[in-house]
Parts: sequence; C-alpha cells; structure tokens
Amino acid sequence: MKRVLVADDKPTGRELVRTVLENSGYEVFEASDGSEAVNQAQQLQPDLIILDIHMPGLDGFGVIEKLRRLEQFAATPIIALTASAMMGDRERAMAAGFTGYITKPIGLSALRAEVARLLR
Amino acid sequence: MPDQRFRQLLEAAPDAILQVDEEGRIVLLNRVTEEMFGYPREELLGQPVEVLIPEELRNAHGGHRARYRTQPATRAMGTGLALEGLRKDGSRFPVEISLSPASSEEGFHVTAIVRDTTERKLAEDRFRAAQEQYTKKLAETNRELELRSREIERADRLKSEFLASMSHELRTPLHTIIGFSELLGEELEGPLNEKQKRFIQHIHNDSMHLLQLINDILDLSKIEAGRLELRPEPFDVATVVTESLASIRTLADAKMLSLETVLDVPAALEADRLRVKQVLVNLLSNAVKFTPDGGQVRVEAYIRNGLVAFTVSDTGVGIASEEHQSIFDKFHQVGATAKGVREGTGLGLAITKRLVEEHGGTIQVESEPNRGSRFTFTIPLQRPGRKANA
Repeated sequence: MKRVLVADDKPTGRELVRTVLENSGYEVFEASDGSEAVNQAQQLQPDLIILDIHMPGLDGFGVIEKLRRLEQFAATPIIALTASAMMGDRERAMAAGFTGYITKPIGLSALRAEVARLLR
Repeated sequence: MPDQRFRQLLEAAPDAILQVDEEGRIVLLNRVTEEMFGYPREELLGQPVEVLIPEELRNAHGGHRARYRTQPATRAMGTGLALEGLRKDGSRFPVEISLSPASSEEGFHVTAIVRDTTERKLAEDRFRAAQEQYTKKLAETNRELELRSREIERADRLKSEFLASMSHELRTPLHTIIGFSELLGEELEGPLNEKQKRFIQHIHNDSMHLLQLINDILDLSKIEAGRLELRPEPFDVATVVTESLASIRTLADAKMLSLETVLDVPAALEADRLRVKQVLVNLLSNAVKFTPDGGQVRVEAYIRNGLVAFTVSDTGVGIASEEHQSIFDKFHQVGATAKGVREGTGLGLAITKRLVEEHGGTIQVESEPNRGSRFTFTIPLQRPGRKANA
C-alpha cells in the first residue's frame, strides 16, 4: 500500500484529503505543521507528500527546502496545496521543487488524478 | 556750451550730478545733489567727495579714485556691490553711481551721476520676499504631495495584500465545504436518499457560486487597481478556442446544444493566453446558460485590420437593446429575459470587458429578445507599442 503524508494546519483540510485518498486505497498519515511534516517524513519515508503552503511556523516552502536537501527525498513526489490564487504562485512552487500543484478548494477528481499521476 | 544752457541741463536731470577734481574735491553739483544728501551747495563745494560716503569705505575710496585716473572710462561704479550714500544727518540710502572722465583746462575731473535707488530697492526687496515665500510654499506643497503619493502607494499595497489574504482566508473554509459536499454526494460513505442528495447538491452548487464570486471580485479589484499584469505570449487561436469549448462542452451536451466553430486566423496572436481564454469561456458559458435546449452556440475568429475579431453567438433568449450597455456593468444581471437562469455573479461581463480593454481591444453585443445574442470582441494581433516587423 502506497503511503501518503498530508501536512495541513487545518484538521478539516487533513480529514478531507485523508478520506479521499483512503477511499482510493492509500495509507494516509497526517502532520499538523511544517516541523511535524519534516519529522514524520523522515520516520515514515512516504511515497508521496502533500504540503499545505500556508502553515504557521515552517511553511510549505520551508518544508520542501529541508526535505529536498536530504538524499532520501530527492525524488519523492511532493504536491503543493494552496488556497492562494495569485498569478505566478504555481511557477514559484515549481521552482521551489514541488512536483505537483493543487489549489484549494480542490476538486476531488483533480486530487485523485494528480496523486495517481505522481505515483504511477 | 553756454553756461546758462549747461546749468539748465544739469538741473533738469532727475539724478544727482557732481564733479570732482583730481584731488577728489567737489567742484560742481546740481540741486538734486543738495536734496539727496541734505547739504546746501556751499557746504559741499570744495569738500572731499568722501563726505558723501559711509565712513568705513572712505579710506579705500582714495585708492579707487587713483585707479580710475589710470583707466578712465564711462562705467558704473562698484558693479555688483550694494553701494550706499551718506546724508548729512548720518542716514544712509542705496545708490547707483555711474562715472565719466571729464578733462578740461582745469585738469582731470570725474563726473559722477548718483541715483537714489531706495524706491527700486524696496520694490526689489518686496519682490524677492514674495518670491521666497512662493518658493517656500511650492516646496511645502511638493513635500505634501510627495507624502500623499507615498500614502497612496502604501494604501494601494495594503489593499492588494488585503485582497490576497482575504481571498486566501475565504477559500480555505470553502475548500472543506466544497470538498466534503462533493465527497458526500459521491455516496462512498453510504447511500443518500433523493432529498439528501438534492440538499448536498444545493450546498455544493452554492459554494461553487461563492467561489466564483470570490475569484471574480479578486479579478475585478486587481483590474480596477491597475494591478492586472498581462503576460503576453504568441499562441495559436484555434488551440485556445478548442480548450475554451472543452470547458463548457459538458454543460452544452446536457442541453443538447450544437457547438460550431469557424476559424480563420493563420497568424499567431500575441496576447495573454489565459486571459483571452477567460474571456472566451465567459462568453461561451453565458451563451450556453441563456440558450434553451437544442439550440446552437457558435464561435468565430478572423483577422481584420491588425486585430483578431472573435464572435460568440447563440440562439438564446437575447438581450433587450436598453440593456446592451448595462450588461457590462458590475453586478448587473440580465432582467426580464433571464427567467429561470440565476447563477451568475453579475461580474462576468464586467471582467470580460475590462480584460478585452486591457489588451487594447473592444467588445460589443448585437441582440434582440428571443433572437439570440452575438458578442464580438477584438484583440490586437501584436501588443500595443510593438511593430509588426520588430
């Protein structure tokens, strides 16, 4: 079973993604902030990570910067999840090393498709 | 010159005229000299001219006189200096003096013409004061303007930051509302009865509507604040039309509408691809929304006079002529003709018009109630300010 780590400071946001992905047959783990995401990632070595960009403390950009420096996460697919709708955000995320980009509110099929694409 | 006529000439002058001999003694003076300096003639005659000069300058004056003797010429005295005369009563007044050499059988003389410039100096001082005050005021106004413009810049920045964070804060709860309602509607967590399904659909639809409103308001605010940044790139019109049609095809199919395209744009269009697509999708969604089942929606694009003209026409309910202008206003919803259609934000056409205009194009509508609508917008082939062969 493929493992997915979801980091989002909002519990409802985590539950939504968890439910959708569990329905699709993934094993889902949660982190409620950036530092926890970094720790969890190192312990669990997930197949895919979904990071909310906007988290207090270490934000999504901070997390990916730490993870991408580690050998073990050099090739892990990491999806940015953001409620920001500003032009140029996607480019910034891609430049920071994200492999996928999904805006909130998510369409469930878009989320499923993006995860499936990156885990194929 | 006869002495009488010489005297008359001397006395007719408005300035003080006096003559001094080689030793600097006053040998000739007119009445104006007496009045100006406050001495009777006989008191001055034979006196060193220095009595008419402020004390602190008297010593130097002998030297000046000696130098003038070596280079005699008609000229102004002390050019650029603020010269002063000394009256008998000790008071001083500003003067202008011009000197001329006058040789006669009695030896080398110098004629001095002295003008009291008190009045002129007063006027000049007043003028200078007024000028200084004006300059000061101007500087103050400039400073104020600069402050004001800095304030406006700051307010503008705060406004966009506010918009960005407001959009973010509104979208975050919408994310879970939309997500969970969609999730429930999928019935993966258990079957719903018809009523529950309908209710969930209502929640989902209206939260999507709210999302559209948030997006539209953000768009419009950016446009109105002049913060919309167009990202022009050359692209193929046919591809964008195909993509736009794809995004409304499901809705069109549900209403059994036929979609037609007539494209004749051989050149690439240089414009903001996403924004042009947004305009097309907007017009196409309206066409689909306002066209009854089984109708027709048609997209055309062709080049005319350096512009690409796009038309989106439908066989829908149409728009009364009195609304042809106001449909492009914010929050205007088409009135009588739109019975039963209610899910727009009232911002779509306002945004559409501004997006077209930001590109340097225009948009207009031809329509009659129950005869369909035809929207035409133009986008310059090249970005404004760039030549075709550049």
